[in-house]
Amino acid sequence: MDPELERALRGLDEAVEFAKSYRFEMTEDYLALLARVEAMPQNQSGADKSGRWRGSRAYAASLAARATLLPRE
Amino acid sequence: MTHPLVPLARALGQRSVRYVLIGVSGANLYGPSGQAVFTTEDLDLFMPPDPANLEQAWAACDEAQLELWLTDEPLERPRDRWLAEQSVRRHALTRATGPDDLLVDLTLVMKGFEFETVWAERRTFMIEGVSVPTARLLHIVTSKQAAGRQKDQLFLATHKDALEQLLKKQG
Repeated sequence: MDPELERALRGLDEAVEFAKSYRFEMTEDYLALLARVEAMPQNQSGADKSGRWRGSRAYAASLAARATLLPRE
Repeated sequence: MTHPLVPLARALGQRSVRYVLIGVSGANLYGPSGQAVFTTEDLDLFMPPDPANLEQAWAACDEAQLELWLTDEPLERPRDRWLAEQSVRRHALTRATGPDDLLVDLTLVMKGFEFETVWAERRTFMIEGVSVPTARLLHIVTSKQAAGRQKDQLFLATHKDALEQLLKKQG
């Protein structure tokens, strides 16, 4: 096997193992972060989120436009 | 382009259906505008275990011209109170699908939470003039943490980074 490919596959295996054991912690700092985000004026009831979604769509579309599928060598 | 949830949210509102937007789509509404925190077209609507409410939700989906599914089979008709009672008893998830790969899950379960708790502390955001009841960000991420799935763990880690960036930009 191509050593470069072998190294890439080994990296993927390690990432999978890490993902299996990873556990996100709800720390005090994280809870404080959430509280700050929830308290923002744009996150109160009545806030208009129409632009929020349009932005996401545009962002996703721009990513899709840049992605190119290459034929397998 | 109209937000895919808008026609359904309008129909749900006209029928006074109680629901809250949860999941990644709900969390995304709290994020920075003009940037996707996590791209998803799937929408999760958390509903109370109330057959009358579910029956009205199904009717709203019909009005919004969405197709309804129950475990990969079209939801049978008549979609009446009896069928809603059976669904509630089994905590069954109803899936609504529509144009442009729209996928909406009507769920009666949110890991770690009762509906009334989430409903009482909801935010009501506006999308294109339509009210969209949305769960608190704290409730959404706590539920994802409780679910413990790998994809949720990944979401939480990435979402935390995005929120930190948002606060940094806000100064």
